[in-house]
Amino acid sequence: MAGARAFKECRKIGGSQIRNLLNAKDFFLFDCDGVIWHGEKAITGAPKVVSSLIKHGKNVFFVTNNCTRPRENYVNKFYRLGFTDVMQEQIFSSSYCSALYLRDVAKVQGKVFVIGGEGVRNELLEAGIPFVGDEDAPDGTIFNCALASDVKAVLVGHDDKFTFLKLAKASCYLRDPNCLFLATDVDPWHPLQDGRILPGSGCLTAALEVATGRKAMVIGKPSPFMFECISSQFRVDPAQCLMVGDRLETDMLFGANCGLDTMLTLTGISQMKTAQEYRDSDHSTNHNFVPDYVVDTIADFLPAFED
Amino acid sequence: MDVSKCTRLSGPLIKQMLNSVDSVLFDCDGVIWRGDQVILGAPDVINLLKKNGKKVFFVTNNSTKTRKMYADKLALMGFNATEDDVFGTAYCSAMYLKKVSKLQGKVYLIGSNAMRQELEKVGIQQTGVGPDHISGVQMDWPNVPLDPEVKAVVVGFDEHFSYMKLNRALQYLNNPDCLLVGTNTDTRLPLEGGKAVPGTGCILKAVEIAAQRQAQTVGKPNHFMYDCVASQFGLDSARCLMVGDRLDTDILLGSNCGLKTLLTLTGVSTVADVEAHQESGCPERLAMVPDYYVESIAELLPALQG
Repeated sequence: MAGARAFKECRKIGGSQIRNLLNAKDFFLFDCDGVIWHGEKAITGAPKVVSSLIKHGKNVFFVTNNCTRPRENYVNKFYRLGFTDVMQEQIFSSSYCSALYLRDVAKVQGKVFVIGGEGVRNELLEAGIPFVGDEDAPDGTIFNCALASDVKAVLVGHDDKFTFLKLAKASCYLRDPNCLFLATDVDPWHPLQDGRILPGSGCLTAALEVATGRKAMVIGKPSPFMFECISSQFRVDPAQCLMVGDRLETDMLFGANCGLDTMLTLTGISQMKTAQEYRDSDHSTNHNFVPDYVVDTIADFLPAFED
Repeated sequence: MDVSKCTRLSGPLIKQMLNSVDSVLFDCDGVIWRGDQVILGAPDVINLLKKNGKKVFFVTNNSTKTRKMYADKLALMGFNATEDDVFGTAYCSAMYLKKVSKLQGKVYLIGSNAMRQELEKVGIQQTGVGPDHISGVQMDWPNVPLDPEVKAVVVGFDEHFSYMKLNRALQYLNNPDCLLVGTNTDTRLPLEGGKAVPGTGCILKAVEIAAQRQAQTVGKPNHFMYDCVASQFGLDSARCLMVGDRLDTDILLGSNCGLKTLLTLTGVSTVADVEAHQESGCPERLAMVPDYYVESIAELLPALQG
């Protein structure tokens, strides 16, 4: 497939180049954090970009590894920050897609042991998947923890209430090779609004991988599964897609894995310098992190709509 | 590489081998005890070795006990041993920070009370031991108050490990001058009663991923633990035997330090594991092939009693 692994140029574009790109593509996939908003603040011009794309008949989707909110909560956030045309159906979070995987792909018969917060649990509830967390035995210790019966999968996501006991229980369940091992994402850290960082799901997943000697199946970017979710619900042509993100090792790699053209926006985590270093690297695996296009901010799309 | 390695130790070879060493280093879990169950014959082996004029030491990656706690456990099980004979990672990590890192400042500790005690014994203050539950909202967490005197994050086994501790460690490690030291990378920790739980390796990995850097580890197979024993007791590595049950920690330590190595099959590794390393042809893996093996250290008894 020539397009999928073609050499990525990492080219900064503007003006008419952006206009041509917007004309050529029908589907726009946006990461959220660092691309359309920073925390509780929309990136200047981003709401207008999204509504302009929709007004021009483009299909817009949001693909995020952030599993801390259920989708209905995300809809509220979009509205609150000025993205007033966004519907729940357009939002694909790693927690939502994990529930889809368990229900429709793995077709899990039994319970899921969840290491995760409301964002993950609500999606499982919505999908009708029974789960257990750690609440059932408040005075359990690592010396005498009770295990639920009928646990057929372990799902690890971002969990600020993560404890050693949860790690111990999860590794007990995963001793059964037939028990599935899923991770919402493997991001090592996340930036907050002021640039400071917090530990990500990747840390918790890694701890469990070391404990069990097993590798988790990753739902979120850069795994292509979230694109498969979108494709199963909408008729999407990869050649007509543009993936826009801020993190080379997740968003750009995701785009490459799905055969999509990619654009790095510089309002988030990754820098132009790093993208260029990956492009010029001798290790061919690094080339998968390189975007096709680069913009300073997605607000650079706005002039293209003025006609 | 000597392809005649991994010889089954038996008959006159046992006495011959014992005569060629002055000191014997024993791992604990899976070698002399399993949890709180002594391995049959183990106390007699250790006590007879000492009676025969050998120096005997205990070298364990388990960071949950102080030297004193280990000495008490050894005594309870019938081993003639004192605190000075024991080298656990709680003690060795404190020594590492003092002697190698020459730490001037405090430690943010993800670890046990035993680690806290060993640190305090060498004059290093710590902060962080004990339960640490999440509170406040997400925005508060990167701004948790940091003790400006903390110069190192130290990670050992911690049953109170939590997201909040992981977060605090990350905030300290944002300073590139803050050290990151781990006691060991073992994936499982054996408990009393025969159960096992995730080991320090899991906790350390979570911290390394968050901070995007590798820890300096103190425990086996790193040579530091042998250096600790050797420097205090003036050992000749050529006349030392390392006895263990894990190829990737005990035997590798022995190889790294030029010791003779003896695998016992009462713990983790098997003969099949050894053969896989032997057949690999890879130098790193060949270092995990022991010189000798026994089913249990009790097999040394006839040579010691005779």
